[in-house]
Amino acid sequence: MPPFIQIRNLTKSFKKGPNLITPLQDLSLEVPRGEFLALMGPSGSGKTTLLNLIAGIDTPTSGELVIDGRDVARLSRAQLTRWRSRHVGYIFQLYHLVPILSAFENVELPLLLLPLSRSERRTRVEAALELVSLADRAHHRPPELSGGQEQRVAIARAIVHDPELLVADEPTGDLDGESAAAILDLLSSLTRDHGKTIVMVTHDPKAAAIARRTLHLEKGRLIEQAHRGGAFQAPSPPEPLST
Amino acid sequence: MKLLSLALKNITRHRLRSFLTMAGVAAGMFLFTAVETMQHSLAKVTKAGADDTTLVVYRENRFCPATSRLPEYYLPTIDKIEGVREVIPIQIAVNNCGASLDVITFRGVPADNLRKYNPGLTVIDGSFEDWSKRSDAALVGETFARRRGLKTGDKFEAVGINVLVAGIIKSSESQDNNVAYVHLPFLQQASNVGLGTVTQFNVKVDSSDLLEPVARRIDETFRSDAQPTTTRPEKAFFAETAKQMIELIGFTRWLGLGAVAAVLGLVANAVLLIVRGRVKETAILQTLGYSRFKIASLVSFEGILLGLLGGAVGVLAAYSFFQWQSFTLGNEGLTLAITPDHAVLLKGFLVALLLGLLASLYPAWRASRQSITASLNAA
Repeated sequence: MPPFIQIRNLTKSFKKGPNLITPLQDLSLEVPRGEFLALMGPSGSGKTTLLNLIAGIDTPTSGELVIDGRDVARLSRAQLTRWRSRHVGYIFQLYHLVPILSAFENVELPLLLLPLSRSERRTRVEAALELVSLADRAHHRPPELSGGQEQRVAIARAIVHDPELLVADEPTGDLDGESAAAILDLLSSLTRDHGKTIVMVTHDPKAAAIARRTLHLEKGRLIEQAHRGGAFQAPSPPEPLST
Repeated sequence: MKLLSLALKNITRHRLRSFLTMAGVAAGMFLFTAVETMQHSLAKVTKAGADDTTLVVYRENRFCPATSRLPEYYLPTIDKIEGVREVIPIQIAVNNCGASLDVITFRGVPADNLRKYNPGLTVIDGSFEDWSKRSDAALVGETFARRRGLKTGDKFEAVGINVLVAGIIKSSESQDNNVAYVHLPFLQQASNVGLGTVTQFNVKVDSSDLLEPVARRIDETFRSDAQPTTTRPEKAFFAETAKQMIELIGFTRWLGLGAVAAVLGLVANAVLLIVRGRVKETAILQTLGYSRFKIASLVSFEGILLGLLGGAVGVLAAYSFFQWQSFTLGNEGLTLAITPDHAVLLKGFLVALLLGLLASLYPAWRASRQSITASLNAA
């Protein structure tokens, strides 16, 4: 079975003034379907750059980036946008919810891009909010929610369109210990019970400990891998996110 | 539709900002609609059309209806001229001969001639018979009645003439809606010009292409008479006598354009500020898979809605204002009613929509070109 994410000799560089910056250099990596992968490393090590490339919100300078059999490095901007809307869920450190919209409306945003009726959207949003245990906060706006609740709404928004891939940029970085543990449990269950492949950037070793594998990056290169448990086995067929 | 609903949420949930922007748009569009209403009203009374068949015969070199004195016995001579369909002698009495915002014009006409001359005239309140029976009765044009708050049965006095309102009339001829028709002998006596003397003859010709030849013929007929005449189409006459007023109204076009430019700048500035303040939100939507076109559409919808909603308030306010106020500009006995029109209303809405769209083009383009990673890092 081919790996879900296959990266070969991936390089990202850009010009900043007269200098050529290369945050990611000649990186190769494979991620099986359903794996929970943590990326660690000091600031400027290239982990967020790698995450953005995998999420399709940035494009590599060279190399190969194949996700679920599709070489996303070769997609046009419009194709990449369409691919992202169907296959990727992004979780930000600072939640990045739209403040004037309710939790329900925030979660509904990715579904507005799909050909779904209002009732279909409602069913999916309610299921996603139920999954993150926030059904009773559906009509609250972000300022009326705690940090942990906001992040759970952001996770519901990331999974509502049922993408195979979730990318998370320090999802617990702005949360207290208890809320962070709840978020990590939730992410863990998304891999375990729903077969999602998760790539997470973190500075927190406790957060990384939840992941099955941790990669350490430094100066744009992979320097170390740590596995937990035995050989990786793809999860059993995932449960659907919505009824 | 989904994006339009999202844009509407953005507007309704930023109440203060939206209110202030729309208030500015409403003020600009009020001014624009006011100017357009004046221009449109002016065009109606000065621009000749294919269906214009009315000539006005005055005494040569007259300055005001008060100085135009023509013998009533000219009537059968004019009536016999080839191409003339109907003639009506009219005595005019006005409260102000110069340009005025509240001109009162009495037109004295023979009772049996009025309906024959103007079959398009309808009595919307009271009755024609009541008017025919009573010598001091008046049929008041609906715009005049609204402006003065007159209704059937009221008595009113102006220019030293006391009349009783026997009915309110409505006509396709804009001048008729702004005057009070009284009996010719009554007005001749009440205004001290004496029986047998009139201010003018209004002449209907068979077709608009006969206006010039018939006018020439009338003036030639009376050239050597005691009271030589000057005959012109009614609209050309208004355009000639009210030159200064027309120039003034023409100048207001620049005010209208200024209002449009101000609205354009206001909406463009507001939408640009919205885009700048929403860099993070735009990046989030892009991350979720919103294309450049969708981002641009969302921004444009917001600009269009701000323009259209604010514009609708301004346009409707101006429409209601002129409907309620019934302003009438008068000059030398002819009147220009500043009346709101559905065409102006529609034009106002269209201009507001176009301004909203134009104003949001650059901000929409800018928002859609944002780099996701740079915007997220900046946020």
